[in-house]
Amino acid sequence: MPIKTWELDPNFKNEIMSEAGGERLASCFQCSTCTLGCPITEFVPGYNPRKIIQMSLLGMREEVLSNPDLWVCLICQTCTARCPQDVRIADVLGALRRIAEREEEAGNLKIDSPRPLFDKAFQHQLKKFGRLYDMGLAMEYYPKKEGSFIKGMLAMMKDYKDFGMRMFLKGKMGPLGGGSPVKGMLASKIKQKDVMKKIFEELGEEGKEK
Amino acid sequence: MSVDKLAYYPGCPSEATAIEQHMSTEAVFEKLGVELVEVEDWNCCGAAEVEDPRVVYALNARNLAIAEKEDLDIVTPCSICYYNLERSNRALKADEALRTKLKGIDSSLDYNGTIKTKHVLDVFVNDIGLDEISSKLEKKVNVKVAPYYGCYIGRPPETAFDDPDNPVLMDKLIELIGGEIVPNFNYMKTVCCGGPLMMTRGDIAFDMARKILDVAKNAGADCISLACPLCGMMLDGKQADIEKALDVTIGMPVVYITQLLGLALGIEPNKLGLNKNAVDTKEILGKVV
Repeated sequence: MPIKTWELDPNFKNEIMSEAGGERLASCFQCSTCTLGCPITEFVPGYNPRKIIQMSLLGMREEVLSNPDLWVCLICQTCTARCPQDVRIADVLGALRRIAEREEEAGNLKIDSPRPLFDKAFQHQLKKFGRLYDMGLAMEYYPKKEGSFIKGMLAMMKDYKDFGMRMFLKGKMGPLGGGSPVKGMLASKIKQKDVMKKIFEELGEEGKEK
Repeated sequence: MSVDKLAYYPGCPSEATAIEQHMSTEAVFEKLGVELVEVEDWNCCGAAEVEDPRVVYALNARNLAIAEKEDLDIVTPCSICYYNLERSNRALKADEALRTKLKGIDSSLDYNGTIKTKHVLDVFVNDIGLDEISSKLEKKVNVKVAPYYGCYIGRPPETAFDDPDNPVLMDKLIELIGGEIVPNFNYMKTVCCGGPLMMTRGDIAFDMARKILDVAKNAGADCISLACPLCGMMLDGKQADIEKALDVTIGMPVVYITQLLGLALGIEPNKLGLNKNAVDTKEILGKVV
């Protein structure tokens, strides 16, 4: 892919470096240690965090933000641990994902991954209850991922029917879980739920929209 | 012994998929004579799904502040919770402006940076110590173990408490209780289990988890030992789904290190939740003498 220099965004690197986690981007000297140690490269052909970093530095904003590979990073921190320049690659990719999510919300980009929907559903659970509620998370995520409630429930059944039954029989989820029939079915809620709401509203993406 | 009381942060899976890790952690600390005081009304650490570090710091400022009021260091059995608590603790200790900002959002986030955050493995080996644990052992756990550490024990460098490539804390405990570390598993010790992609790229997650299970099986392990509930969900909870989806037979028991340690301390298997692991653990129980 030839680089069209007139389409580069020279400010992109600054945009990333001003995002929490992206600060160390410019230290990269392209040694590829991140990519050589990355466990995902074995399963996703062509996956290359080194290249994402260099494209970011060059200012290939659109190509970087629409790259589906941003969404298969495991955040396992192997790249960060091995980087000789302390670029904090896992955190840089996190910063890129957040910029991409904002661009999608602004209608400038279509993200080819359900991961933003999952992360948001998780954060909603946390904001509502203060703790993760597995069933609530799945009930929110699957319909959004599949585009309708019915399709979502069918996909959820397909993925989680066996697992759910297994967890139920072991007393980990459902009416046998959580120590009582009621507790096992419902979300575990903290008392200070209002604090969770404040945190997400002041510091989360919602805070930025204000 | 340098520690007799700690604040305990169980983490969300302790109430559901990793209840056996929670049960065994409480039982083991009780047997070791260390009192755990659960962080009152604790909230989720943000896991891997809250990507904005500032939100993670705020969420954990509340947890840290609650423990600080009791003047206790925090211990957690979950590697992801540990990573989030520890990086928040470091950021908050270093940045007074951040502490002031968070205090302004809510008084419950008023944390002064006076406590430490620890993973259970670190506490067992480095605080309580192998000699102290050794003096309390009642049984020999004669099993061949593939010790699987996952991501956040040796990475990233500033929060790590063991070697990034060849961590050893779990190995030391296993050898102490009479177990054997299988050869040829070392290179898989810290390769991610795929858990973070379970809900969005289940295909990759299954392949990654299968590889760990296969290597452990080929190495002749009786079981895999763990220190993280997400690894537990992938390798144990989902193992039957992996077998079905990839048309393979694995049948590898997966237990938390606290469960193995508990057996050696003579604790009743059901009190350690060994009837709650998805893959049957009876064969392991037969090797406790």
